[in-house]
Amino acid sequence: MHEIVRKEFREYYSGLRAEDLEIPDMPEREFAFLQFGGEVMIRHMKFLDPQSLKGYIVENTPAHIYHSSAYYKAPEATDMNEKGWLGADLIFDVDSDHIRTECKERHDRWRCMECGRDGTGFPPESCPNCGMKKIDTRTWICEDCLEAAKKEVVKIIDEYLLPDFGVSESDFEVFFSGHRGYHIHVRGGTFRMLSGDGRREIADYVRGIGLDIRAHGFREEKSGILVGPDMKDGGWRGRVARAVYEFVNRSSLEDMRKVVAPTVAKSLYENKEKFLRNISSYPPYWGGLKGYTLESLEKIAFASIKGLTCNIDERVTIDSKRLIRCPNSLHGKSGLRTLRVNYSCIDNFDPLKEAVAFRHGSIRIYVKEAPRVRIGDEELGPLKDKTLEVPLALGLYLICRGAAEPR
Amino acid sequence: MSLMLTKEDLAKYPFLKQSIAYIESMQLNLGDLAAEEYSGILRKALTRIKDSIDRKINPADLSDLESEIISYPLSLALVYGSKSNWLLNRFATIEAKRVEEELRREPRDKLLEIAKSGFSWEIEPVDLRLEWEELPFSIPLQSYLEAATSFNDPHWKLINRYVKGGRVFLNSGSLARLISEGFKTKIIRRASERELHNFRIPEALAPYLDEIQRYAQENMQFDDELPQGLVSDARPPCIAAIMEDVKAGKSLSHMARFALTTFMVNVGESVDDVLKLFGNVADFDEGKARYQIEHIAGMIGSRTKYKPPKCDVLRSFGLCVGMDEFCRNAKHPLNYYRNKLRRMRKPGGQTGARDRKKGV
Ligand code: SF4
Ligand SMILES: [Zn+2]
Ligand SMILES: [Zn+2]
Repeated sequence: MHEIVRKEFREYYSGLRAEDLEIPDMPEREFAFLQFGGEVMIRHMKFLDPQSLKGYIVENTPAHIYHSSAYYKAPEATDMNEKGWLGADLIFDVDSDHIRTECKERHDRWRCMECGRDGTGFPPESCPNCGMKKIDTRTWICEDCLEAAKKEVVKIIDEYLLPDFGVSESDFEVFFSGHRGYHIHVRGGTFRMLSGDGRREIADYVRGIGLDIRAHGFREEKSGILVGPDMKDGGWRGRVARAVYEFVNRSSLEDMRKVVAPTVAKSLYENKEKFLRNISSYPPYWGGLKGYTLESLEKIAFASIKGLTCNIDERVTIDSKRLIRCPNSLHGKSGLRTLRVNYSCIDNFDPLKEAVAFRHGSIRIYVKEAPRVRIGDEELGPLKDKTLEVPLALGLYLICRGAAEPR
Repeated sequence: MSLMLTKEDLAKYPFLKQSIAYIESMQLNLGDLAAEEYSGILRKALTRIKDSIDRKINPADLSDLESEIISYPLSLALVYGSKSNWLLNRFATIEAKRVEEELRREPRDKLLEIAKSGFSWEIEPVDLRLEWEELPFSIPLQSYLEAATSFNDPHWKLINRYVKGGRVFLNSGSLARLISEGFKTKIIRRASERELHNFRIPEALAPYLDEIQRYAQENMQFDDELPQGLVSDARPPCIAAIMEDVKAGKSLSHMARFALTTFMVNVGESVDDVLKLFGNVADFDEGKARYQIEHIAGMIGSRTKYKPPKCDVLRSFGLCVGMDEFCRNAKHPLNYYRNKLRRMRKPGGQTGARDRKKGV
């Protein structure tokens, strides 16, 4: 069944302009490939220019094509010491699989490999029946998942990279991964030499891990007065202050009760206006409510920042020698392209349309089982056990996902 | 010499560009320092090392600047010559503490000058006044991360800093700490450089090296309260949970790694055993891990810093998972472990068989 996919992939790569495979500092990157049906990664390849990369790809037609986030003195060396690490891009990987969206109820299933218990939606960490962690999942993506992933990307960039880390618009690129999410590549010199530990701090920073609000100016003076930061402050300091403002402003009494003791919730709710005025005055005043202590403030702060932390796969960010998909290569599990996204237009970016690589032709397939799927403008399903003729891109998508076979 | 830095500063801060240049300009030969005419300096260097072994933090002796300045490279040579990680860490730690104390007495502009001369950080004076405190310095994000990731105090985590526009804003105390940690790192990193691997102390100084080694031997304390090796059943829930994550191949946070490593080392596991433990973690880098673990292990017996974090800290990092009866009475995971061991060993309690070879 792979033969047809392989043939179409080859055709796609033959028709591609070599420049489309260009990546910055190509001679310093390691390239890696995974063949169709192959399990072993072909690694330590070096290409001096996009033409030779294209030549290799057309000849071998791999299912997945990667380059290293790292720069090396000798990318072709197999030994890490000989490779000579010269730095690495900082990568953020947003994967819709890790985001709890409601749509997952509609298109995802899981099954315990131990006892057979199954269910729909976001998979549990361990089986609710037998407690084992061997959970098999069958996950799909839809517009809603990808939209949620896009929101995370915008959050990372607008809330963290630009204001806090001082990254400029020309220092990063955003890519649709070709399947479940997005990658942000930060290429500027600032982060290039960061060690794994430094990258870990960056990841923790955007994920909100280890936050201590006392380090950001919240404290109880000896006199019992509660002081705290200003909303205009930089970094997490101002972020927490603004988050608390937002939270208190929009919360009902019920919402507050979920976070703090009933008496505190009541006094906060009844004095909402005054509290908000106090914390937005200068210098801000954070106390003055009955029963309201630094501990309650801490609880509110942590409840408030929930939506502000970023959902990334931290392992990718921490790794200073990660392999990452090449721009304009095809994703072997979807047949879609890894596509550079113009960040200023990301709101209107429709990955399931713009990343379509096969725009013509149709294919006859047998579908075992699939939820509703859209590729380009074509929609299909949910369906089961059916043979039908579909546009090529959609057919290849289902075949690559393992849900269909060519007929 | 810069306008602001005096010869006294060279004596206090051996990591300054100017201090290094000054020493180089004297064209000293290490072997010559054993000669009679330098006996004062030699004695100073020996005292400097012994004081560090005794954890005595003395301010620089400014009565004779020249010998104070030269005593530093000489004591460093003896420490490197000893090839003892324990001594290296102890010496670096105490030197760094001394520097930190000196720095805390310096005015801001001097502090800035020292930071700029000692390190390639692009520190800038700023005028950031927050509601209740001032942050007069800023340092580029990457420099901060290079200098501060070895800190395991939550306050040094990037997320707990004032970060804006690619820079981290600091008060004087934090900058002093950053400089002293940077100094410590320099001393320790230098020891693993290739040229130092084959470094031998000149023959003439050998008797003094012996003296130092003997002194170190006598004063090294070993933590013999805990058994040599992990007793699984006495593990606190937090550590057990981290070990579960390791088993599942999950990537560990810096804090989780640190907690687990320090815990294991403190209950008497060897570096190799701890390394084996990490073997199947996704982002495992053996060379680096070994360095870190040895670093932590080398500090054992000093009873100062490289203990696992307190329960409070683990809690704030979301690593505390338990509240069993031992947790309620413990403020520290090692405390938990000790208490539970004691209970298990009581008649009628479970016997705590060692099971270090089982791995996780
Ligand atoms: S209370 Fe302390 S010992 Fe117990 S699980 Fe929490 S951190 Fe570990
Ligand atoms: Zn089960
Ligand atoms: Zn969805």
